[in-house]
Amino acid sequence: MAQPFPYTYYACDCYDSNNTTSSKRASQILAAAEEEDRTFDPRSPRSNYSLYPLEHLLYCEDCQQIRCPRCVLEETLNWYCPSCLFEVPSSVVKSDGNRCTRNCYNCPICTSPMTVNSLDTSNDNGPPYILACPYCHWSTVEIGIEFEKHTGISSQLARIANGGKPIPTQKERDKERERRKELGSRKRDGRDVLSHSEDSPSTDTERDDPPPSHDDVFSNLGAFYKAQIEAQTPSNPFSPHDITFSSPSAYNRIMNLYSNTSSKRNKRQKPAPMREAASLIEGLTVHNPSADAAAIERIKKEGWAATLSPAQKLTQINPNIRFESDLRPIATLLCTKRSKRCRSCRHILSKPESKITSTRYKIKLLALNHIPRLSIRALPSTATMPPPPSSSTQQPQFNYNALNSGIPTHFLLHLSNPLFDPIRVTLATPSTTPGKVQSRVTILCPQFEVGANTDVWDDALSSSLSPIKRGSIINADGQIEAGKIWDRGRNWTSVVIEVVPGFLKPVAGFGQQVDGADGEEELGEDEDVLEIPVFVRIEFEADVNAEERGLGDARGSKGERERREEAFWTVVGVGKIAGM
Amino acid sequence: MSSLGGERKVSASLSRSIRGTTPRLADLASTPESPRTPLLRSTSSLFGSPGGSFRTEDEYVVLEIGSRFVRGGFPGESTPRCTLSFGLEEQRRMGDYRQWDPEYGHKRRKRKRGEEWGQDYELYRLDLAQVDLGLVEDKFERAMREAYNKYFLLDTKPRRILLALPPKMPHSLMSTILDVLFGSFQAPSIMLMSSPVLSTVAAGLRSALVVDIGWAETLVTAVSEYREVHERRTTRAAKLLSEEMAKLLNAALANDVEDGSPKADVSFEEADEVLTRVGWCKSKPKSNRNTLYFPARTSPILEEFEDAVESPEPSVTIPFTRNTPPTEITVPFASLAKPAETSLFAPGTALNEFDDDELPLHHLIYRALLSLPMDVRRLCMSRIIITGGVSALPGLKTRILAEVEALVQQKGWDPVRSYGSASARHEQVLRQQREIFELRRQEGEDKVSESLDPDAPLPAGLQDPEEDAIDAKLAHLALRNGAPPSCSIGGTIRGVETLGAWAGASLVAQQRIRGIVEIERERYLQHGLQGANREKEVSVVPQRQSMGPGVVRGAGERASWTLGVWA
Repeated sequence: MAQPFPYTYYACDCYDSNNTTSSKRASQILAAAEEEDRTFDPRSPRSNYSLYPLEHLLYCEDCQQIRCPRCVLEETLNWYCPSCLFEVPSSVVKSDGNRCTRNCYNCPICTSPMTVNSLDTSNDNGPPYILACPYCHWSTVEIGIEFEKHTGISSQLARIANGGKPIPTQKERDKERERRKELGSRKRDGRDVLSHSEDSPSTDTERDDPPPSHDDVFSNLGAFYKAQIEAQTPSNPFSPHDITFSSPSAYNRIMNLYSNTSSKRNKRQKPAPMREAASLIEGLTVHNPSADAAAIERIKKEGWAATLSPAQKLTQINPNIRFESDLRPIATLLCTKRSKRCRSCRHILSKPESKITSTRYKIKLLALNHIPRLSIRALPSTATMPPPPSSSTQQPQFNYNALNSGIPTHFLLHLSNPLFDPIRVTLATPSTTPGKVQSRVTILCPQFEVGANTDVWDDALSSSLSPIKRGSIINADGQIEAGKIWDRGRNWTSVVIEVVPGFLKPVAGFGQQVDGADGEEELGEDEDVLEIPVFVRIEFEADVNAEERGLGDARGSKGERERREEAFWTVVGVGKIAGM
Repeated sequence: MSSLGGERKVSASLSRSIRGTTPRLADLASTPESPRTPLLRSTSSLFGSPGGSFRTEDEYVVLEIGSRFVRGGFPGESTPRCTLSFGLEEQRRMGDYRQWDPEYGHKRRKRKRGEEWGQDYELYRLDLAQVDLGLVEDKFERAMREAYNKYFLLDTKPRRILLALPPKMPHSLMSTILDVLFGSFQAPSIMLMSSPVLSTVAAGLRSALVVDIGWAETLVTAVSEYREVHERRTTRAAKLLSEEMAKLLNAALANDVEDGSPKADVSFEEADEVLTRVGWCKSKPKSNRNTLYFPARTSPILEEFEDAVESPEPSVTIPFTRNTPPTEITVPFASLAKPAETSLFAPGTALNEFDDDELPLHHLIYRALLSLPMDVRRLCMSRIIITGGVSALPGLKTRILAEVEALVQQKGWDPVRSYGSASARHEQVLRQQREIFELRRQEGEDKVSESLDPDAPLPAGLQDPEEDAIDAKLAHLALRNGAPPSCSIGGTIRGVETLGAWAGASLVAQQRIRGIVEIERERYLQHGLQGANREKEVSVVPQRQSMGPGVVRGAGERASWTLGVWA
């Protein structure tokens, strides 16, 4: 994978618990039951969603389990702009949206932050101003936008359309719509009187208008539906708006409620069903072939460079655009500080300080402090193999990106213990790795102990824990003896793991059939990466934690200790197998 | 008071009218003929003052789920806050930063063995035999987490969800999606609405023929008065289109490189990018239809747009940075329209060679219209909404509408097609109709001269009907009070633009309209989808309850819930 070799991923338990959801079909439940005793497969597409580097994981002390980003609940503490570090109150987030409303903008081409520059050629930096990208040199000049002031860019930008035309605000839109509606109704009334008059020329001028923008159509539609629904439900006597009895209409309705005769007559009136939008000001847009033709012409003329890539489109506020001239600078997305709770017991797992510029945490329960860290590295070959005479003097850097197929290679599994109690570790691994390239794996010493994470000075002061003699585990043939640990320190132990990397292509004579079609097939992405799933089970005795001890106090002993165990899958990325 | 109560009960049972509750789409469809009695909110006790407490502020999150994209945002906004895709980069492990590696951008990804075109980029597919629902759940959960944490930025208050879904969805897939939304995102309730209806809403219409050209299939849904009445689908959609584009690019690349170098295999992203950037569609059908008879007036216009050969032939230069070595190829502009041509319209193939699920779009639309009842057809044919990702291809909408129009001209609305002698008769009938039409028109033009001649009495069929003064008055009244005449337009092929299903959902949520299908969290967690009422229609009007002060059930709560069209 993209992390430099070697690396370790930890699998969160929620992957397993998810496997038996009620929504599964019967066949899948059966399959899941079969999978119970199967090993973790780092190649399955689902594993990408359950594997995390140890640093990304939290640990719930009450549930005594690893918590991945999937099994925590997040609560937003505060909002801020990552570019200007301005804290945005939640009311503003609600009203103004999820973007910075100050001067922070990102380039729509390359997403780097933009700066406000002056176009003034004299040296006093006067107006007009533009937003310019310091990386790709795109600027708002290209879409015909200039600003009068260098502050409050977003409010200025909201009022200028591409090309410099003003954008009407919501209020202006409503007013304009009212005006047009009145005009239309007057026209209709006029036609009623005159019986059959020709269409007035004003309809033609309407047609000449540029096609309405997405926002225009949307606000027209919204206003239309609102008007229709209000016409539908006029008599809602207890609606909070006209609850006052002062208005004559409300009074009328109340009277109607309690007088039978008048109400019956009124009720006969059928309200008309809601109609559909009839014109542009109500949001109806009839398909216009000329827009299509214009777009085709433009592509023909301007070619590839004038169009937008899918990624550029998706970052725009309105993704339904096609050409570079439609781009708008993107206001920076706000970021949040969030606290995290365990999903099952709702205890807080992490809580940052609310100050924006502070990176400290009030509460932070990291898996790093509770789960032993497993790492792997190549065993210096001088000790393991009968040393080749030439290379023994100068040790070349081990190349993790080119493991040799078929040659047994030794690695050191290094386990360090963050707990304050010594732990007993059992490692397990499938003898061949899953996937197309099958490598054979043997852990030479699967059961061992790791010391407690005591004071650093203990190591130096106590001389009893002397390092193991290397020679003792290398037998006479120069082979590493199984069942013995390689090395140990204060709170760490390392054992040897032997790996025979598999062959990328099936090789005749190694028990594999060389199939013509199979041999032709190329390996997919990452199939040449050697990843070993390792099951880690740790046992230790720990102090009974505070709450349970409180219960136990009645019965007696204070220094009671309890046995605990943890088990989880890890995936160790060893390296890339070199092609032959 | 007792008589009033009795009347109220009658009215409640008579029909589901609107009466003070928030209106629903289905309610708007039916004309409420019953009296409008006030509904006493059951939350406000008899002696309490009405108002205030019962209007709980229901805030919504609006989601639209498609097979390749998820859109999410808030009601009342015209565009979604985010549009999330399911590419390879979204499926990487946490802490895998290889996409930022500058070298990585120049590598072309290979398709995995035995994998269909673009399979890695889908959230789900309808053929569940090939779908790992767990993986769908993983993908969807991650996308929703990104939407909530990066784009929605909500406070802790749980929000209801308005979910726009395609009208046919396997239940196990639906419950996978609902599981995530109820479980991981704590939604108190989820309202489901079908995306064709929402597209209709976003076009400002009540009835429409919604042509949703999606990823795996094109779905033609006839919506009448906000209800789906008919549905047809074909596999001619974006997937086929982009695969076709990839073939074209592969051929162009093979021409470009010298022999000996390995054959290029364009990746999905590249084909997709070319398609969305410079792909287009000829907006006029080819004129090789010899059988097609256009009315005399319109034919010259159509003939005019023959493929006039331009000299020099326009072309587009497409960079391929992921190719090894990076290269640029120049493709004739006209050829970029071919994938749309072959994949969506398949002009070279006879109609009887198509399988049931791969009809070309225009035939599919025509057949859908043909199978509708006549009055619904009249409304739908002049309200054709073309939506979905591919509909952004320039020229495509015009082309589809032109093709459908041509088909209608050619075949009329006769379901009998080629039946030996019947076809000849059919031709004849059509020709007759057309002649009558022409005749009428000519007569209309010459009416003045003819009426000057008082001796020749017009045949009764051609005479103007007598004008009824009352009819005229009613028409006037209708014109003034009722809908403008353009609302009842019908009988001609016309396309209407829509803002898309998401915008429709946003509009619906903004007006606080509640849908038929509303799933409460508690009930879902108890029974899952099995808890739904079998009936498709559930009375959405709250049942009358005793008005005693002890009644505490919420006004919005329903006795049972249904899955509506998804049942």
